[in-house]
Amino acid sequence: MKTIMRFLPPVLFAAGLLALWYVATDLRLVSPVFLPTPARTFDEIASRFADGSIWASIGATVWRMVLGWLLASLVGVALGAAIGLTPLARDLLEPTLEFLRPLPASAMIPVAILFFGLSEEMAVSVIAFGSIWPVLMSSIFGFGSVRVRLREVSSLLGLTRWEFLRKIAAPSAMPDILSGMRSGLAISLILAVVTEMQASLPGLGRDIFLAQRSFRGAELYAGLIMLGVIGVLINHGLQLAERRLLRWRPGRA
Amino acid sequence: MAYVEAGKTRPGEMAARSSTPALSLRDVSVVFGAATNRPVLTDISFDVREGEFLCIVGPSGCGKTTLLRMLAGLHAPTSGAIEFGGKPIRGPSRERAIVFQDYNNALLPWRTVADNIALPLERHVASRAERDERVAALISKMKLEHAARQFPPQLSGGMQQRVQIARCLAQRPRMMLMDEPFGALDAITRQTLQDELMALSAEQRTTTVFITHDLEEAIYLGDRVFVLAANPGRLIETIEVGLPRPRNQLTTREDQKFLAHRHRLFGLLQGH
Repeated sequence: MKTIMRFLPPVLFAAGLLALWYVATDLRLVSPVFLPTPARTFDEIASRFADGSIWASIGATVWRMVLGWLLASLVGVALGAAIGLTPLARDLLEPTLEFLRPLPASAMIPVAILFFGLSEEMAVSVIAFGSIWPVLMSSIFGFGSVRVRLREVSSLLGLTRWEFLRKIAAPSAMPDILSGMRSGLAISLILAVVTEMQASLPGLGRDIFLAQRSFRGAELYAGLIMLGVIGVLINHGLQLAERRLLRWRPGRA
Repeated sequence: MAYVEAGKTRPGEMAARSSTPALSLRDVSVVFGAATNRPVLTDISFDVREGEFLCIVGPSGCGKTTLLRMLAGLHAPTSGAIEFGGKPIRGPSRERAIVFQDYNNALLPWRTVADNIALPLERHVASRAERDERVAALISKMKLEHAARQFPPQLSGGMQQRVQIARCLAQRPRMMLMDEPFGALDAITRQTLQDELMALSAEQRTTTVFITHDLEEAIYLGDRVFVLAANPGRLIETIEVGLPRPRNQLTTREDQKFLAHRHRLFGLLQGH
């Protein structure tokens, strides 16, 4: 009963939005060119699943996004550890990073195209550039705020630098790293779509772009809905992973 | 088990180096901040015997924690000499374990109790089986059986402090340094842990320096009690406790000698 009461309002709200969509299109309040009916949109999704063509689009978008995100996470955590733990690296790198950070990732697309052409490498490098910042910033914070007591424990036990990094600093920074990675993943989905549209790489982003160009409204909205679903699923998956990795945190079980 | 045997070999070692004190301080002074030149400790000199349980009491700000951190090797004296086993202390060493008051900061919250205790063994005991065996022995010695697979934040303060003590024992130190280890615990838990610590210390004869601001705790646990005064921190009195062991929370605390020590210490600390 309690779970029903908890889930009922949000489900009703979403259903209300769908109903509004239905009414708006059924009464022709909005031209079907701009907004197709829900039925046509879901038919479109169903038929793309039926002929299997949607998997190629989903696969291309998700693959690109995940590659860029992993690259960003890897570099972000490594740089974050260096900057958070060693003042030398901080002094050396921070001014440059402060300059690069405000640059919009989409502004890097032309640069990336110059270097890599209209290729996957281009897309992955742009995605990585854009989604590295939350990972990097939260890693710097996480590694920089390892408790003094734990540093002392580590030196009392004669842990090597590598052991300190692996056994003390990394797990201690893990909550921050994970929350940064979660923000980074949201950005990487955005940039996967943007690069597809810019460079006409296969994927949901290009599908949406082309559908809009040729006024195929149902296809456009089908693509949007699929992107939304991917976002929800990925975020949920990460939350599960986070809960597992941080199960030691009180009040989180 | 192995550790109990190691404890038993101690008396022989003791005889061999009975001439050298376990720990010796000569004219140790500490000044904080080159600019302010605030003296924290001045001219501290004392010896600690092998296997002795030494308690140090003093008001807050008398530098007792700084003193303990120097013994651990986490802090260097501004002047004077500290020798451990006849050799100058140059930094932290696995021979000297420190139990911090803030167990919640000193434990690794992402490791289970068993894995926290295993931390000092990881590089030093190659055999997994031996490691597990030693951890299991410490878990049962510190009465942590039911908590072994739990994470420290899920445990009470007393249990967490048991884990920290077990982790220190795991490194098989020649000296235990304890910085108000029971200061944050409730009275009942504190008494229980005092008795467990004394039993442990009677069994292992590990030299112990125990810092507290609780006079009765100092008398109850110690072979000797040092009194530090503040501003600047200095050693003003040494008391030979001389109460029989094993001690008892009720009868020892009612002993005339205990009460006399308590009066003496109380007067000393009032005066400063």
